[in-house]
Amino acid sequence: MKVSVHGLEFVYPSGVKALDGVDLEVESGSRLGIVGQNGAGKTTLVRHLNGIFQPTVGTVRIGDWETRGRDIADLAARVGYVFQNPDEQLFARTVAGDVSFGPRNLGVPPERIDELVNLSLERVGLAGEGQTHPYHLSLSERKRVALASVLAMNTPIVVLDEPTTGQDARGVAMIERIVRQLNEEGRTVIAITHDMDFCAENFDRVVVMAQGRILADGEPADVFANGEALDEARVEPPQLARLAIALGWTGTVLNVETFVNRLRDSERSR
Amino acid sequence: MTTLYLDRPSPIHRLNPVTKLVGLLAVVLVVFALPQWWASVAILVLVMVPAAVVSGVGGRLLLVTLILAGPLLLVLIIAQGFFYPGRETILFALGALQFSLEGLLLAVGVGTRTAVLVAASVLLLLTTHPGALMTALTERGMPAKVSYVVSSTLQIIPAFRTRAESILLAQRSRGLRTRGNIVRRVRVLLPLVTPLVLGVFVDVEERSTAMEARAFGSTRSRVSYAVIPDSRGQQFSRWALIVLALAVVVLSFTGVLR
Amino acid sequence: MIELAGVTYTYPDTERAVLHGLDLSITEGIVFGIVGASGVGKSTLAKVISGFIPHSEGGELEGAVTVAGIDVVKATLLDVVSKVGLVTQNPFNQITGARFSVEEEIAFGLENLGIPRDEMIERVGAVIARFGIQELRDRSPFALSGGQQQLVAIASIVVMEPAILVMDEPTSQLDPSGTRLVFDIIDRVAEQGTTVVLLEHKLELLREHAQVVAVLAEGRIVLSGAPREVLADDRLDQWGVGSTRFTSAARAAISAELASADSAIPVSLKEAVSYFSGGRR
Repeated sequence: MKVSVHGLEFVYPSGVKALDGVDLEVESGSRLGIVGQNGAGKTTLVRHLNGIFQPTVGTVRIGDWETRGRDIADLAARVGYVFQNPDEQLFARTVAGDVSFGPRNLGVPPERIDELVNLSLERVGLAGEGQTHPYHLSLSERKRVALASVLAMNTPIVVLDEPTTGQDARGVAMIERIVRQLNEEGRTVIAITHDMDFCAENFDRVVVMAQGRILADGEPADVFANGEALDEARVEPPQLARLAIALGWTGTVLNVETFVNRLRDSERSR
Repeated sequence: MTTLYLDRPSPIHRLNPVTKLVGLLAVVLVVFALPQWWASVAILVLVMVPAAVVSGVGGRLLLVTLILAGPLLLVLIIAQGFFYPGRETILFALGALQFSLEGLLLAVGVGTRTAVLVAASVLLLLTTHPGALMTALTERGMPAKVSYVVSSTLQIIPAFRTRAESILLAQRSRGLRTRGNIVRRVRVLLPLVTPLVLGVFVDVEERSTAMEARAFGSTRSRVSYAVIPDSRGQQFSRWALIVLALAVVVLSFTGVLR
Repeated sequence: MIELAGVTYTYPDTERAVLHGLDLSITEGIVFGIVGASGVGKSTLAKVISGFIPHSEGGELEGAVTVAGIDVVKATLLDVVSKVGLVTQNPFNQITGARFSVEEEIAFGLENLGIPRDEMIERVGAVIARFGIQELRDRSPFALSGGQQQLVAIASIVVMEPAILVMDEPTSQLDPSGTRLVFDIIDRVAEQGTTVVLLEHKLELLREHAQVVAVLAEGRIVLSGAPREVLADDRLDQWGVGSTRFTSAARAAISAELASADSAIPVSLKEAVSYFSGGRR
């Protein structure tokens, strides 16, 4: 499902202007990574997508729906938002109970709910934990329950708020796998992240934000080669991109495979 | 932070918190020792009003006192005015109900007494930073644990409000509807309250580790980092206030002051 | 400075031991990094070194734990706490709420230790200057950002002048700028001679800031040594610890026969630059 943002401005009740004219078109089924310092407006932007915030000026469209005037619970059928802190939503006595909360609210028929719950738990590697009490799990496991609870809502658009923060290597690999699966299923994935390597390797579109505006918008290869925008946003390029710069290579490198190919090319040209 | 405290450059603000506490205590003693309606009014006019003016927080003091004591005063006037058994002088009548002067005076007496107590307490809170109050009390032997409960509650409550909002957003983002009839609203409580409560437990555990890491609960005698200014003058005033208040109590009980 | 021998620990009401015959030796005055997958026992190890296990958590602890010359099991928690400081990952939960300003919050531990007032003032002033947080002095600790709160939490512990500072994923909930602040402080603290035990996931930063790195897996320390060697070890993957992209790139280059397996595999950017710009063959 497509996401369209036009001329979006947002001013908090306190008077702080968090978004200063944002235009963004996210094609259906694409993977968008949003980067920038804290305070740049990333979370504010993304919270307009499920109706948590309503535009002060401008429009936000989720598919054919304009978000203006729509309830968060309505938009939840189209936009699944995975929050950072699982402890601010886990409440059921069992993991399965919590994961089924979303689908139940969306009116999914009961027979289908069990299926969705099991599938989601499998995806996050918690297949056997359906009857466990969520607070008997570790923090990183609780994060996975929260993620599963949104996956079970089966929404065409999934928003991930800092999905890899605090995760170890296996946790990051799981998130990468899920992003890939969601993409294969044709869903639109939007993630806010501070992990540039994760961003460069898993998303086909990157947006750099600073002070409520978009400074750069495009494919990772272009965005992460845009030193100016990255500097202004105080964002460090991914590790391999920095290596490419330090080695004096033209253009940028986003993953190991590309790096090896470039290396091979530069070997051949000797 | 959840507190009444308003920072102003007034002499009352600068007083040692214990002096103000003693002042409050003295007011309480005198107000209860002299139940006559004119006593409370006298204290209100001669003590509370000047104090309010000097402290620079008169406006807020008036507002809070009215909010807290006003309704009570109104109820008292109606109840005692119309139903006081010792009625003799009738001021006016509403149908079968007669409004008496004695009832009115009784209501005014009780109501004003309450107002004075409320105003004195609120004035203390308006002019005393909770941290200073806790430090002053701990220096005089109040257990550090009590001080901690007060300080942490005042500071952490606003954080709970923020957290409750986040919880609400997270659940609504999973499709929870919060508008509707009373039955729905009650059902909505569980997914909102549970994370809040459980979150408290997680926090408390981690925070108690942090407290232990800072040697809280150590049996060594504590030294206070913050200095709360005091003076001989204030020390003397505190004793004088206590003596004065006790004198009033004695004089009242022995029937001299009636 | 820190000696753990044969440490086995099981949490109360559980059956499986989290730590299993763990041996660990940490010399004085260095930054010692410990990596490991989530759930493998890093926090448990942090609590053992800082005395919270067994004194606060209960459970069954076997083995010898000697820290700064103290037998942790025999000593009281108070004895240990004055020698070993603990910083954890959640900044908000380390702000005690006992005090209303950053300055007093930092002094709180010293008050509890009964340090004389003059000395408290001096120490607090010195720490605030060293951490560069003068503008935060009078602010409420609850009105700060996560990174700032973490700095205040670390300052509150460092001011107690522990010989050892144990930091359990101190940057895991911070953004990159908060993370940079914390690692900067870690350097400054280590310069003063404090031994820092740092449990972390951020490998590139560990390479830069740690003098020794150890891997925790299967309940024990399975590898320990110079950061460059440990972080480039090819068993890290099986232990659930990742590697920097520089390391992955070098390994892929070796597989593609574009680089020699003889040169030391790079972990940091600098090492990768020298590795790939020449002298590979």
